[in-house]
Amino acid sequence: MAVVGIGHAKFGKRADATIRELAAEAVAPALEDAKLTTAEIDASVIGVAGDVFAAQGSPGALIHDYVGMGSKPSFRVEAACATGSAGVRTGWSLIKAGLAEVVLVVGAETMTHVGSSMATEWMARAGDTRWEYPFGITFPGFYALMATRHMHEFGTSRMQLSMVAVKNHKYGALNPFAHLQKEVSLEEAMKSVPICHPLNLYDCCLISDGAAAVVMASEERARKISDSPVWITGLGSASDTMMIAERPSLVGLTASQIAGEQAYNMAGVTPNDIDVACTHDCFTIAEIMSYEDLGFCKKGEGGKFIEEGQSYIGGKVPINVDGGLKSKGHPLGATGVSMTVEIVKQLRGEAGKRQVSGAEIGLAHNVGETGQYCMVHVFKR
Amino acid sequence: MNGEVKFGYVSWLPETGVVVKVVEGLQQGKLLGTKCIKCGTRYLPPRAQCKCGGHEMDWYEAPTRGKLVTFTMVTFPPDSMAKHAPYIVAVAELEDGSRLLAQITGVTPQTLQVGLPVQVVPHQISQDRIVYKFKPQ
Repeated sequence: MAVVGIGHAKFGKRADATIRELAAEAVAPALEDAKLTTAEIDASVIGVAGDVFAAQGSPGALIHDYVGMGSKPSFRVEAACATGSAGVRTGWSLIKAGLAEVVLVVGAETMTHVGSSMATEWMARAGDTRWEYPFGITFPGFYALMATRHMHEFGTSRMQLSMVAVKNHKYGALNPFAHLQKEVSLEEAMKSVPICHPLNLYDCCLISDGAAAVVMASEERARKISDSPVWITGLGSASDTMMIAERPSLVGLTASQIAGEQAYNMAGVTPNDIDVACTHDCFTIAEIMSYEDLGFCKKGEGGKFIEEGQSYIGGKVPINVDGGLKSKGHPLGATGVSMTVEIVKQLRGEAGKRQVSGAEIGLAHNVGETGQYCMVHVFKR
Repeated sequence: MNGEVKFGYVSWLPETGVVVKVVEGLQQGKLLGTKCIKCGTRYLPPRAQCKCGGHEMDWYEAPTRGKLVTFTMVTFPPDSMAKHAPYIVAVAELEDGSRLLAQITGVTPQTLQVGLPVQVVPHQISQDRIVYKFKPQ
């Protein structure tokens, strides 16, 4: 199974485009890249996380029709912030099951159209609305609870959190599709306004609009379609409790650990083999925990990992060199597909100034909510 | 019946059986959870059905003393919580090992420490809303 076409819309505050127009902005280059027309695609999988954000019921049907997929089979998937990777996993499953040979996977979201406090409200309602939301906990709040605990157990520092933001903005500044293409200084990142202690504004990903698309094909078709197919060699997926208080540990995401191990085993690789990765940095603490949960360093050493520059190009594993959710933006449904696009670009050697030289094996790690969903994919050129 | 008193600072769900019972418990100064008759698993906050598939549950009174596991001060609240902000949300582990999320009052994040001994107490937010909260022991 391979990815044979990639497309990416500009992420940002896109008052100039509706969700279907953003989707089309990503689908056109993906089809062009694969040198295919919609007539040659067997099915679509559309990932959109929130109908409220899109102000649209059945946004999947809306996008499928708009991009010209006509009477081809389609359905929409949702796995919160991991929606895009759930789309890729679903596309893989359709092809594996023999229901399709070539599948178009689209991830799209509009979030700024509803305003940031409304967006905060709806993301918070993705927590347990019976027993946790009624205390006013927010989405950054959940990750702040993990940050406080991580700092307590391992001495992870405020400065180390900010260092993640500095890195991701450095690379985001080089990504023409990124929402905020600007560098930030460590001082700026550390001094920004508090959102949920100990997390401040620069510890939080952006609220963005955007879309990304990939064309996936069976091995046989992929070899005919593309000179440079990127193979999906490992998939992993796991889940966790809805209530965060029900979890025995708050210094990592169990779902990431399980999904990562599944994907490594299936691909027959270890964390040491990964040349480049996109990991889920919805908050800086999330990226630090991802280093540990995916085995790039030991549990508790994630802070040191960023401080030593191990996740920069030239370090042990370059991570989020597309800017990550932090600088590129996090339009929920688009994110997992965007990660896939970035890894494919890196493995093809098409990432320009952000290129990790000689990258052969890549990984995408996409978390939904606070680990209620997690999907990890391993790619090989 | 306490059907008119709702649980939480804010909520959109109907006040189903488990919530009505929790509210009644809080009004009597008790913290109530449920235990599955079939497998014995305890739930705090309570569930009406067990994860094992059992749907017959007993009520039990949970311990109210515990220690802080973690906390955060929310300074950017959702719209519906704006009038309460800023506020501190915490997770505590109670004496029986169960964990609970609630707000904590009478402290600041600067003085707050993981491991702080706390007690779960009822907190009447307004005439028609009640909740449990942590306070330092």
